[in-house]
Amino acid sequence: MSGKPTTDLSCVHRPIEQANGLPNAHYTDPSIFAEESRAVLFNEWAGLGVTAEVPEPGDALPVEFAGIPLLMLRGRDGTIRVFQNICRHRGMILVDAPRKIEGAIRCPYHSWCYATDGRLVSTPHVGGPGFNTHDGIDRGTLGLVEVRSHIWRDVVWINISGQAAAFEDAMAPVIARWAEFDAPLYHGGDDSRFELKVRCNWKLAVENYCESYHLPWVHPGLNSYSRLEDHYHIEAPQHHSGQGTRVYRQLQDEAGRVFPDFPGLDPKWDTAAEYVSVFPNVLLGVHRDHAFAILLMPQATNETLEKVHIYYASPDSDASLRVRNTAQWKDVFVEDVFVVEGMQRGRAAPGFDGGRFSPAMDGPTHLFHDWVAARVENFRTRAKAAE
Amino acid sequence: MSDLESRLLDAHMQSDKRSLVSLYVEASQQASTPDAAGFFLTQAYVYALETAHENCSVLNDRLVAMGRNPD
Repeated sequence: MSGKPTTDLSCVHRPIEQANGLPNAHYTDPSIFAEESRAVLFNEWAGLGVTAEVPEPGDALPVEFAGIPLLMLRGRDGTIRVFQNICRHRGMILVDAPRKIEGAIRCPYHSWCYATDGRLVSTPHVGGPGFNTHDGIDRGTLGLVEVRSHIWRDVVWINISGQAAAFEDAMAPVIARWAEFDAPLYHGGDDSRFELKVRCNWKLAVENYCESYHLPWVHPGLNSYSRLEDHYHIEAPQHHSGQGTRVYRQLQDEAGRVFPDFPGLDPKWDTAAEYVSVFPNVLLGVHRDHAFAILLMPQATNETLEKVHIYYASPDSDASLRVRNTAQWKDVFVEDVFVVEGMQRGRAAPGFDGGRFSPAMDGPTHLFHDWVAARVENFRTRAKAAE
Repeated sequence: MSDLESRLLDAHMQSDKRSLVSLYVEASQQASTPDAAGFFLTQAYVYALETAHENCSVLNDRLVAMGRNPD
């Protein structure tokens, strides 16, 4: 017996008619949170940020991802890379706030310096005062530790373990689903980003996002034109899930102005939109005239930062329309806060069995639970084999 | 405290890194031994690296010539 905390996930895998959701411990227990982070956040491709957060060469953004200090950095060559945000010398945090790197990244402790492509370029006094080399310190092997990354739909995806399949293979189903939307995305700028801090485990935000069942109750404003029966499920087992609507209506101002459309879309998108949870932690939405990405940043077992970024088909979209669009989406996402926080508080009820699913309406949510459970079990199996 | 030491401390307090480059170069020129010169020149070089200072490569060349930086 290892004595490690564990959970029985067999009920999650049952057919939806009999399945239960993930047990309480997956929302409340820090040790399960740590295990699950390794199994699903570090072993898979997860969202860390968006390229619009580091628009210019030298822009550096420190991001803590499920407790790991990372640095998203646009190099002099324009390439965005992700590194562990620590010096190879004594493990000191290198960059503690977003800033522009003018030349090299200098560690504030003993001033080892790194180029923006991660190379270690200076080790002052490492061989004694005024001697900046030492035979025991091979700079060529002591660059910043790079984290595997890939950019898709402006999201910077990372695979911390380095063991996931190539991004294009791992994400092939959702890339194919939205191939039509493979057009340049233009971030709307400061008026098109906002953050929500929610007191819940990150998974509850995924679960809520990928189903339409709650819309008439939590977002009653949608009832006037987008009723529950206008929605459909998106279900890609062991990959992603979400919902679509057949009655998307473009935002229009008093003068009848709308955002320009993404080019080359099938006419079905004139009135359709889709919302997909790309597991583990990225929520995406596409419409004929705008798109968004929500990155769920786990801060603690019961705390999540939602980072929202909205994109358009053109770099010069109308600012006043953008502001209205952002406000409209913020209203919707804020309406969801009491739900995800309420479900989190509910997980403190002893003996809650993970709940049940509507066989007709909760398919996308069950699919996500099943995905998490499969990865946690796989992780446990591998860990046990390695003992 | 010498005037140079005072200006160095002030530049450190202000995080005025470009001034630190020139002040540490000045300190290296006043140094009484090659090791002291190497120390101060290294300090200047590091701040030059950090700030993409126009004299960065010149300072590196001097440290290489002194056997302090790798070729």
